[in-house]
Amino acid sequence: MNAAVWATSGALFALGLAAVVLRRQMLAMLLGVELMVAAADLALVHGACRFSDPEALAAVAVVLAVAAAEAVVGLSLILKVLRSGRGLDAGDLTELRG
Amino acid sequence: MTLWAVVIAGAAAVVFAAAMLWSRSLYNGAVCLLVVLLQTALIYVLRGAPLLGLLQVMIYAGAVMVLTVITIMASGGAAAAERFADFALPRGLAALGVAAVSAELALTLAGAPPHAATVAAPGLTAAFGADLFHSYSLATEAVTLLMFLAALAVLPDKEPS
Repeated sequence: MNAAVWATSGALFALGLAAVVLRRQMLAMLLGVELMVAAADLALVHGACRFSDPEALAAVAVVLAVAAAEAVVGLSLILKVLRSGRGLDAGDLTELRG
Repeated sequence: MTLWAVVIAGAAAVVFAAAMLWSRSLYNGAVCLLVVLLQTALIYVLRGAPLLGLLQVMIYAGAVMVLTVITIMASGGAAAAERFADFALPRGLAALGVAAVSAELALTLAGAPPHAATVAAPGLTAAFGADLFHSYSLATEAVTLLMFLAALAVLPDKEPS
């Protein structure tokens, strides 16, 4: 079980990172970030259950709520960008000369 | 049996995450992420953290994914017809999801009594709850305040007169 959960967590994190790096649509990048958070949560929960550590489970609960707030802020920022007349493509945002 | 259920849930989560990465439709990507989150919630339950599994379903699979789908719908414009041209998941992927969930349920129910997955660490959930409202109480309050502040982010701007 140990190897299966670690492998799942690592693969999910890698796929989320790939989504952030390879996709150009802002919503797809946000979905990739959510995938990476879910992968980190999975690793934390597995470790907490393996070592019977309730504090790690509490940390995961806090991380879940913070990630939900982060998603709300990210989605509202994307909506703001859309309302300003620009598309979903992250390459269109050039104000910071990035 | 529980081991195989975890393996199947993990494999299904990875397959749907890969489908999310390669999917050109945002809607399909959101549905794939929803399946990944449900599969990881199932792994939480099978590993002995049922409360976190329920929180994952309520917060992520419920609230956040609904917000995401609404944002995808609100991001209409000229390309909307193209983005929503294919609303349904590919049939093979949907069949794979149904087969994975069926196999996980069968393995979990056939392997042991229903409570067997959570007796690995007796008292862990109770200790988790106690920690959340004692040593983590300040963090819990801060997160609650953060959620309220995040709700302000979605309030509409005042229209210019």
